[in-house]
This record gives sequence, C-alpha cells and structure tokens, in this order.
Amino acid sequence: MGDPHLLSSAHPTAAASSSARKHPGPIDERLAASDPSPSFAKRPRVAAEPPASGGCVPYVEADVRALVSMAGGMYPLARAEALRGLTAVLEKVDPSSRVSAGITECCYKCAVELMRDDDNGVRLAVVRLVDACARNFSAKLDFDANGYGDLMDMIFLQLSSMARDMCTQVRMEAFAALGKMRRVSECVLLQSLYKKVIKTDSMGVSIINGQKLPPKLKIPCAAGIFSHGIEDEFYQVRRTACKSLGALAKFSTQYTEKALDLLMDMMNDDMEAVRLQTLEALFHMATYGYLSVQEKHMHMFLGLLVDANALIRDAARKIFGLINMPKLQIFKSAVDGLITSLEKYPEEQDIYGILFSIGKNHGSFSANIAKHLAKEITMASDGELILDKSRVKALLIVSISAPFSDDKHKKLDIPSIIFSRAIPLLEKVSCALGGEVNQDSLLSYLCHKGGMPFWENRSVSAEFGESESCNVETVEIDAHIENTAKETKCLDEVLVMQSMKSILEIVEGAWTMRMSCNVCEVRTILRTCKEELRLLAENSSGSVGAFLRFLSEYLDAILFIVEIWQLIQLDNPYTFGLTSLDILLEKLDMSVRRMEYCYVGLNRVLEVQVLELSLIAHLCRLSKIAVCSKLVLGKLLWVINRLEDLCADGSCELSDFSREIKKACDTNPTGDNLIGSINNLFQLFRLKPRTDFGMLKMINVVLRVCDNDSENPLQYICELPVGVSFKISLWNVSSHHRLWLCMTIGESMQHTFLDFSCFGGNDEVKSGSMVVPLYATPKACSFVLRVCVVMECPSAGISTHHGDGGPSDYVVQLSDELDVYFVSAVQW
Amino acid sequence: MAIECLVLGAGQEVGKSCVVVTIGGKRVMFDCGMHMGYHDHRHYPDFARALTAWGAPDFTTAISCVVITHFHLDHIGALPYFTEVCGYHGPIYMTYPTKALAPFMLEDYRKVTMDQRGEEEQYSYEDILRCMKKVILDLSVIPMDLKQTVQVDKDLVIRAYYAGHVIGAAMIYAKVGDAAMVYTGDYNMTPDRHLGAAQIDRLMLDLLITESTYAKTIRDSKHAREREFLKAVHKCVSSGGKVLIPTFALGRAQELCMLLDDYWERMDLKVPIYFSAGLTIQANVYYKMLIGWTSQKIKESHAVHNPFDFKHVCHFERSFINNPGPCVLFATPGMISGGFSLEAFKKWAPSEKNLITLPGYCVSGTIGHKLMCGKPTRIDYKDTHIDVRCQIHQLAFSPHTDSKGIMDLTEFLSPKHVILVHGEKPQMAFLKERIESELGMPCYFPGNNESVSIPTTQNLKMSATERFITSCAVEQGKRSLHKRNLICRTGLSEVIGSDEEAAEGVLLMEKHKSRKILCEDELLEVLGMERHLVQFEPMVSRIVAAVESELQRAKAADLDSDGK
Repeated sequence: MGDPHLLSSAHPTAAASSSARKHPGPIDERLAASDPSPSFAKRPRVAAEPPASGGCVPYVEADVRALVSMAGGMYPLARAEALRGLTAVLEKVDPSSRVSAGITECCYKCAVELMRDDDNGVRLAVVRLVDACARNFSAKLDFDANGYGDLMDMIFLQLSSMARDMCTQVRMEAFAALGKMRRVSECVLLQSLYKKVIKTDSMGVSIINGQKLPPKLKIPCAAGIFSHGIEDEFYQVRRTACKSLGALAKFSTQYTEKALDLLMDMMNDDMEAVRLQTLEALFHMATYGYLSVQEKHMHMFLGLLVDANALIRDAARKIFGLINMPKLQIFKSAVDGLITSLEKYPEEQDIYGILFSIGKNHGSFSANIAKHLAKEITMASDGELILDKSRVKALLIVSISAPFSDDKHKKLDIPSIIFSRAIPLLEKVSCALGGEVNQDSLLSYLCHKGGMPFWENRSVSAEFGESESCNVETVEIDAHIENTAKETKCLDEVLVMQSMKSILEIVEGAWTMRMSCNVCEVRTILRTCKEELRLLAENSSGSVGAFLRFLSEYLDAILFIVEIWQLIQLDNPYTFGLTSLDILLEKLDMSVRRMEYCYVGLNRVLEVQVLELSLIAHLCRLSKIAVCSKLVLGKLLWVINRLEDLCADGSCELSDFSREIKKACDTNPTGDNLIGSINNLFQLFRLKPRTDFGMLKMINVVLRVCDNDSENPLQYICELPVGVSFKISLWNVSSHHRLWLCMTIGESMQHTFLDFSCFGGNDEVKSGSMVVPLYATPKACSFVLRVCVVMECPSAGISTHHGDGGPSDYVVQLSDELDVYFVSAVQW
Repeated sequence: MAIECLVLGAGQEVGKSCVVVTIGGKRVMFDCGMHMGYHDHRHYPDFARALTAWGAPDFTTAISCVVITHFHLDHIGALPYFTEVCGYHGPIYMTYPTKALAPFMLEDYRKVTMDQRGEEEQYSYEDILRCMKKVILDLSVIPMDLKQTVQVDKDLVIRAYYAGHVIGAAMIYAKVGDAAMVYTGDYNMTPDRHLGAAQIDRLMLDLLITESTYAKTIRDSKHAREREFLKAVHKCVSSGGKVLIPTFALGRAQELCMLLDDYWERMDLKVPIYFSAGLTIQANVYYKMLIGWTSQKIKESHAVHNPFDFKHVCHFERSFINNPGPCVLFATPGMISGGFSLEAFKKWAPSEKNLITLPGYCVSGTIGHKLMCGKPTRIDYKDTHIDVRCQIHQLAFSPHTDSKGIMDLTEFLSPKHVILVHGEKPQMAFLKERIESELGMPCYFPGNNESVSIPTTQNLKMSATERFITSCAVEQGKRSLHKRNLICRTGLSEVIGSDEEAAEGVLLMEKHKSRKILCEDELLEVLGMERHLVQFEPMVSRIVAAVESELQRAKAADLDSDGK
C-alpha cells in the first residue's frame, strides 16, 4: 500500500520505521526524517504569521512544530494565536506538494486535541483550522484517493459536534465550515438532518482505518445538526446554517428532499436576512436542478409570492422560474399564485417573464392551459373577456410559452387563437425571451402561427432587404444570441460557461469569415458578441467575471486586428502624421498590454494566447512602417523567447504562426525577410480562444474624491500646491505592483507613486485614503484635473520612455478617469 | 468530603420540585414547588421529615439559602407554606423577573384556593398574601442577575445562568470550596420567538442535577409546528372564520402572538387580533420591561420597535365576541375551564368555520381535555349544552428541552455525576442508561425523600520550587518534541497517549509550613543535611558457595551412612 516512490526518496531511518507502521499512507517522509530538534533558539519569536517563503520546506516544518507546541501552552490567547498561525501556514502550503500531507495531518491532530478547549477563542480557531485541514485533505483527494473519504466523514462529524457549541461564533464558523465540505458520505449527511439517530448497517463508520474513534465522535453527534442550526437563537447562525444546508445539496438527492423540508420551514423565520438567505439556497438548488417541489410546500411558496417584502417576492419568483413541478395541479396553483401576486402588485412586470419561463419549462402543462384558455376565449362573447385583465394576460403568456419549451418530442398543438390574441403582448413576450430577440421576427412568427399572412410578408421585406447571404448569417447569429440570452437569465456559472463557449464559437467563425466577407459584417458580429460578454460579466463575479472581462478585452484586440489589417491592405502605407492606423495600433497595444498585466493568475494557455496577440500587434507595426525597426524587432524576439519558455516543458505547443516567425527571425536577424512574409504569416494565425481560466483575478482600482463635483469644487490658490484627498480601493493588487496616480491638467502631467503599504484590507481588496499634493496649479480661476491610476508594465528591460520621476516603462490604466473640479480661492 | 443530595419533590415524578443539597457542609434548597395533581399531604414536599433527619432545631438554621429557578407553581408554590407555616426566615434567591412575576402566579393560586375552601387546608390564603408581600417588599428575598456571582456566606457561592423555558428561568451553579454543582431547574435548549436557548459556561462540576421531562422524546423541528399553526389560522381567517386561542397568560400567549404578528405583517393581513384583557395585557407590560431576559432578536431590535408592542393587536371589548367577520382572540384560561375563554368557546364552537387551538397539555375534567381526547360533537358543561362543530388544532409547543437537549447539555458540562429529577420513572431509567453508556458518567434518579451521596475530589494546595518547575518544563518540552515527530511520521494511524506525563519530585511536608514539591537534589539543601551513601555489597556468591559446601557435606554424610 505504501508509496514506493516516497519511500525510496526518504531518509533511511524513516523508511525503516515506516515498515513498522500499521497503516502507511501518503505521508511526507521528509518532514519526519529531518533533525528532530528544530532550532528553536535561532527563531525565538515565532510569530503567528507564516514565513514569507512559503515554499521553503524546512522553515514551514519548523514553524509548524513551534506552533504546535505553542498550541499546547497554558494561556488561551496564545493557544488561539498558535492555531491561527497554523491555519495561515496551511493556507500558504500548496496542497499538491508532498510536504502538505504531513503538515496537514500534524495540524489536524493538534486541532482535534484542542476541540474541547475551555476557551471560546481557542475553539473558534480550532474550527477554522479543521476547515483549512479539510480543504487540504480534499485537495489531496483529487490527486490520490487513498482512504481519505472516511477521514472526511470524520471531519464532518467533528465539525458537527462543534456546531452545538455554546459560543455563537463557534457555531457560526462550524456551520460555515460544514458547508464547505467537499466530500461527505450520504448516511452522515442524512443524519445531519434528523435528530433521531438513524440505525442502518452502513453506520459502521465508527471504526476508521482500523482506529477506533474517540467515544464522543460516533455518528450521533451529527444528529440533526442542521435542525438545531436553523432553530438557533442567533440569526447569523441560522443564516449560515441555511447556506450550508443548500450548499451540501449537490451531494445527494435523498438529502436534498429532506433539506428542502427544513428550508421551507425557514420561510417563517422572523429575520428578513435569514429568509433571503434561504431563498438564495433554494435558488442555488434550483439552478442545479435539485429542486422538485411537492404539494406540501406549495402553501409556503405561494405565501412568498404575496409577501409584503419586495425582495422576498422577487427572490421567490426567480425560484419559481427554475423549479420543476411534477404535477399539473401544482403547476396550476403556481400560475394562480403568480396571478394573485400580479393583481396585488401590478407594477411588478417581471412576473410575466417568470410566467413565461414556468410555461416554457413545463410545455405540456402550459399546452393544457392554452387549450382551456382558447375554449374560454371562444366561449366568451365580445366584451366579456377583457384582454386587459391581468389574469388573461398572464394565462396568454403561459400559453404562448409552450411552443418554446424543450419537450419538442411531444407534439404540442396550441390553438391559433392564442397566437393572435398574444400579438398585443408582443413586448412582454419578447421581454420574457430576454429582450434580445428581434421583436419583428417574433411578431412575424406570431402572425404566421395566428394565421395572418400579411404581417409575415411585410416584416421580411422590412428587415432582410440587403442580400441573401447576409440574411442567412444574421438569422443564424440571432438564433445563437437568442440561446445565450435566455441562459443569461440564470446567473449560474455552468450556464455562463456554456454561453461563453457558444459566443467564442461565433467569434471563431467570424475570424474565418474576415478574409472572404465584408469587414463591416465581422465587426458587427464581434461587437454583438462583446455586448453579450458584457452582459454576462455584469452578472458574474469571481474568476468567471474576471475571465469574461478578459475575453471582452480579447475581442477588442481581435476587432482592432481586423480593422488594422483592412487599413494596411487599403491605405497607402507611406503617409505622414498621425493616422487612424496609428491610433488603432496604439489601441491594440494597450489592449494586449491590459490582458498581459491587469490579470493575476493568468495560466499558461492564456498567456500563450496573449503573447500571440502581441506578436500580431508587433507584426502590424512592422508592416505599417515597412522598415525593420530595431526596437520592434527586439520586442518581437523577447515575446518569442517567452513563448518558447512557456512551451518548453511540453504542456502546450508552439503554434505554426509563432514557429514561422521564430524561423524568420533566426534566419535573418535584421528581420528583412520578416517584412516580406508578413502577409503569409498573418494567414497562419489561428484564433483559438481558450476557456480554461483557472483562478483568474482582475486587478481593478476604484478612485474617488471626497465631496467634489462641478457644483462643489475644491478651492486652491494659484500657483501654490493644493492637496487632494482620494479614496482608493484596490482589488487583487499585491506589493510588487507599482501603481502611480496620474494627474493631468491640460497638457501638463504629474505622476505620484501610490504607496499602498498602509492601506487596510486583505490580499483581495485593499482600501485607504490619501492626500496627494498637486504642485503646479495653473494660473486660472478654475480648472479641471483629470486623475487616473496607472500601473507600470515591466516590459523586459526594453524601455522607451524616460520621464522625470514618473513611471519608467509602459503603463496600463487601471481606473476610470476621474474629473476633479477646482476653483480659485482668490478671485482676480 | 461528599455532596449529599436529598430529593424532597419531583423525584421520579413531575411536580413539586424541591431538592436539598448539602455541599461542603452547606445546605441549599433548590426550588420549593407544589404538586398540582394532589390535594392531600402529597401536595407539598415533606419538609418536617427532612428536618428530623437533619436533626436541626428549625429550618432557618438548617438551610443556608433557598434558590427559586422560575415562577411556575410547581417550582415556587410551596414557598408560602415553607416560610409562613414551617417558619423559614433565611435568604431566598431568585432572578429579577421571577421576583417580579411570582406575585402574579401566587395571586392566581390564591384565587384557586379560595374556590376550594372546603378542602382540608394546610395553610390559609393569608399565608400566601404574607409571602407575596415578602416577595414584593424585599423581605429576605434577594434578586440576582444572570452570571452574577452571589456570595451567600463565607464559603457558599451561587451563580445564575440563562435557562430559557420561561422568562426569568435560571440554572443555578453552586460552589463550596472545590465542590461544585449545577441545578438546572426547567430549561430549554432550543430558542423560541421570545426566549433564547439555555446558555452556560464550561464548568468543572462534581454533580449535575437536571430535569428530564422529555427523557425519551426527541422532538422534531419547531418550524414545522409553527408552519402548521400558521397555515391553520390563515386558512380559517381567510375563509371568514374566527380563531380562539385559549392560553395561559405568561409565555405561551406572548410566543404565539409574536408569531402571528410577524405573519400578519408579512402577509399584510388586516384581520384583527384581540387579547381578552386581564392578566395577559398586564404581563405584556412586564415583558416590555424585562427585555434583557428575552431572545437575542428582541434584545437587538427592541430599541427600534419593542416586539411586545404588537402592531396588529387591537383594543378589545367583551361585546366584540358577537361581531361578525374574522378575528383572532387570545383568551385565558388555557384549558377552557372557565373565564372568558369558555364564554368565547360557547359562542364560537357551533360554527364549522371557526377554529379552536388547544394548548399542549390540559388537566382532565376541563373542556380542553375533552376536546383533546377526540372530537366530541356535543359537550355538556354544568347545565348548558354546546354543539361543537368548529375545527380543532392542537398546539404542541413545549418549553422543555428534549432528550437530545439533555444529552447535549450533559455532554457540554461533562460533570462527574448526574442526577435526574422532574420526569417519569421509566423514561428516566432509559435516559440513565444512555448517559452511563454514551457519556460514561454515573447517573442516578432517586425517588422522593431518597438521598444520594456523591464523593467529591479534594484538591491540596502546595507550592513548588522554581527548579522543579523548570526541570518539568524541560522534560515535557523534550517529550512533546519527540511525540510531534512521531505524529508527523506515522500520521493518523498512531494513537496519541495522554498529554499528562508524570514528573518526579519529592513532596516535603513539614509542620507549620505549606506543602512543597522539590527536585531530588534540592532536598539536602532545604533540610540542611549531608548526603549519606549506603552501599550494599553483593553477597550472593558467598552464600551460594556456603550452600554448595553444605550440600557436599550432606552428600558425603549420606554416602557414609550407605556404606555403613
């Protein structure tokens, strides 16, 4: 069972001792084999923070040892601090590294020992440490599944026992940690919902790895932990419990059913925050398709639709749009509930959208409704059935949604009268479809189905007048966009990824079109795609959001390249002065630079992608000047070297395009044949946008000035310095980034280095305020100062710019430009 | 030293809670309740028998103090009897809300005794009046706050912890010297709308005396019960029916009203909610003042809006009972045994649109009990007949903790011994089994007038020299390093031994001096003596030689005799 690779690399004593082990596991030998007396004396002050060099194994080991022994100390504050230190160490350690397993187990042991500590602070730190351990263990699990499953169950049980603590913070933290568990067996999960101990044969987990659990950690300690959590006195705990309850739903359907019962009860909670969190958990479950309501839940759900609180109503409706209703009766009562809600709150027009998506999700049910409605319409004599009534409107929307439903295999025949009656509701239908569907084509569809041929002809002539080929293309794209837009409604990562992929496919298609087709058309497609991405990005956050922004940057660059290429081919290249080509080239450079430097955690594939774009940019520049500039050539070489570097270990391949450029550069260092073959090279370039983005983060800066607008300017005295106080928030900026505050008045510019070492916050967000003196105020009664934050790009020593005191290399702008208004204090 | 625990009431039964604990020579009486079910000598705890057993002249000298955990009659009802008839004049401790609300309960009780005058009385209602005065006027009744440590006398210390259950309910921690114990009274581990969950610190306890009303039951989530209740009420009022909620004045009424008020707010209902005046409204005034003893949410929000100012509760007059249209009415008493709830019941029961909600427990003989036992269509009460066509909903709210809560608390406190009171015998036996097997604590559930003696640990105070401590620390440091190393190497499969390791030293006890622990080599210095060495010479070989020569000689002698 033991890993021979590990053993052979280990110290001989360790290897010898390991043979005596009862249960050899993937445990680090290096940690154990080293000198048993670490140099405490040399590092007398082992602070809680981990060493800066997280990768340096011996230090981590010494730190862990010191901290573990301190965790056994006498004073509770010191114990808690030591545990926090261990947590920090664990966070720094790469879970895939070999040293991690040993350290994690060591920390875990230490945490378990202190689980029943008398001090609240220590127990709190224990929970956090166990959480960190669980994360590392489960990360390890991805590399080698070696019996850690039982261990994860045990950690779940241990955290559960902490979730009944008397201290509120401990309970909260324990529930949060439970929600983050990444692998739990079903029986343990189910037990966490029931207070009564479930007796089954599979409960025999009390013996783990041949080692008996401590007596208090049998499965009963998880019993009903969530029932307790949602009954907690403190709403913070209840909220966390609800969140975790929903988060764990992905592991088991049986669990989800029971958890739904608990969550439904939470809708009577007296705190709004808890109710909203519950709805969020339900929404989460619904997006993953785990949510299936039953009749017993309907009373509660329908109550939510007429809740006095608008937020609750809104959240409840969103869930309705996603859930799966097994019975026609439930479906009808849901529709009725929505209609009641609509009658009570007529201003909430998004209910129509929800009705549409409910209908769409349950095609056969809505077809049923449509049939009844058609009967009602035909039965009613004129004037009796007023279309303005919200009930009829709502039912029409539901009926009209049936043809859009996914169960196409069933033949849903919707009476044509429904279509004709739905024409006045055109706007609502198109809104429900995401607002992106062409209203005209929708109208023609409705008319066609409703049996009014006149409208069909007109709309075709109005819209698709241009050419046959173009027509086909646009319709196709429309269909694509329709798909993506529908999916935008669910802000779920999975769906976002799907729409992103389909957008990228369109982009790829557009790129291949660029040679054969009109550039304008390509431009339109790219712009539409960019708009789509922007919509998606607005609704997502985290790595996905960052990647979407990265992609729209990428599309920008592609757009520039297409336009530049066109200009190069059209224009006489030998013109003087600033042309639109120069501007475009500059824009392209900026765009590439932003991709290169404004994102943290760019993985190799993406970096290769960016570098290739930068190759293209340089090529464009070369072809524009048509003479081999040494500077540009130098940059080109640098990029190629970097590319080679990245592809050296074989994880990705150098593309034909890059290889050809390399060849051209190698054969002729002056780069003469490069210029000749630019056109060919350009043809070689293949657009292959990637979608694996890893942990991408975007560097972002928000700059604000306190109490200043054009109505309320700052005062100054001419030609004397004036201080401007800024509030700055930085996202994902770390200490090696060099940021500058760039202040411009007309032509003159002042750069001030941004020292954010004193800013408060964590690695992700830092914020602080600072007063920056503006030295040269102009001799004027008023002026506008334009301020932005820029970041230096260390571009491999090739520097062109040598300002006085300003940033030394190329810069990228990180924040929006901000206007600061000044007015002279002395009027003259 | 031992803790002696004498159970005077609530031993293997529910009612007349009264436990006297002798701890470190101090006698403390926890609760002084009466049994509502009996009207004979079993009505009160048998104080006289206890007094003779103690051999004390009177109760005031025998008992250091009385501590009342909360204002329910089965915890405070015998107090007037004890003070006025038995003549106890020592200090009585109770929390502020208990002190404020106890007179209400006693007054209520006094009214009841007035009705039952014909029975044999053990004390008159004047006694109750006097006792109430005592409580109100602060005569020997000392209020205490949560987590306030009260020094009863030189040795005895008591402290109250939050118990949930009813407003002002407390768990009592008592300590004399090294011996410590907790008496829980009634408590609730799950919070409700207006009260929090029981809350206590991790204490080093020799004994835990806990209630065990639900020793075997594990209750499901209260949310489900709330949901059912709200659903029933909502359905009734939306179809134009009237809802009658007979309740006890304190606790349940506030709880349910908060629930309804909140629901009304959320659902934007306009149906009026009424309180039938009297005790409930008066109690609401008290609740508004006792915010510090309510649940977290109320504590946080009362500055903005006092939750006991119910928004949807309207002014009520008796004539409203005949008004048409839906409404919700809270009326006392809870078991529909008379009063206004009976009046409303008579009026509303014949209509099937209306709804009556019943409390969780009703004494037999009351209308409430009849309704609970199955739905009758016709009830004869005194000389009137009531047709019962209305819907009936049973509320199962209980302010007692369930079996899981008891186990959780016991596990959290980890006392050395557990005593169960305030429960039914078979269930108690079941819980005792669980505690002993799962938590490994000895557990007892004595009957009334039985006593249990529990040994306590006694700690000796002694000083240690600096050198001894340093050497211990060094030893431990070395050992722990060694051990950590081991953990890193063998991982989880290795079972860690206990952290406590023995250290070697010499205990020096001299007359008139404090005890001291020294290092071995320090001893001589302290005693001022020289080291004497005694050496033992190995003598074995010489003995062996002697034995052998002896044997040889014997052999030779044998041979000699054979030859002869």
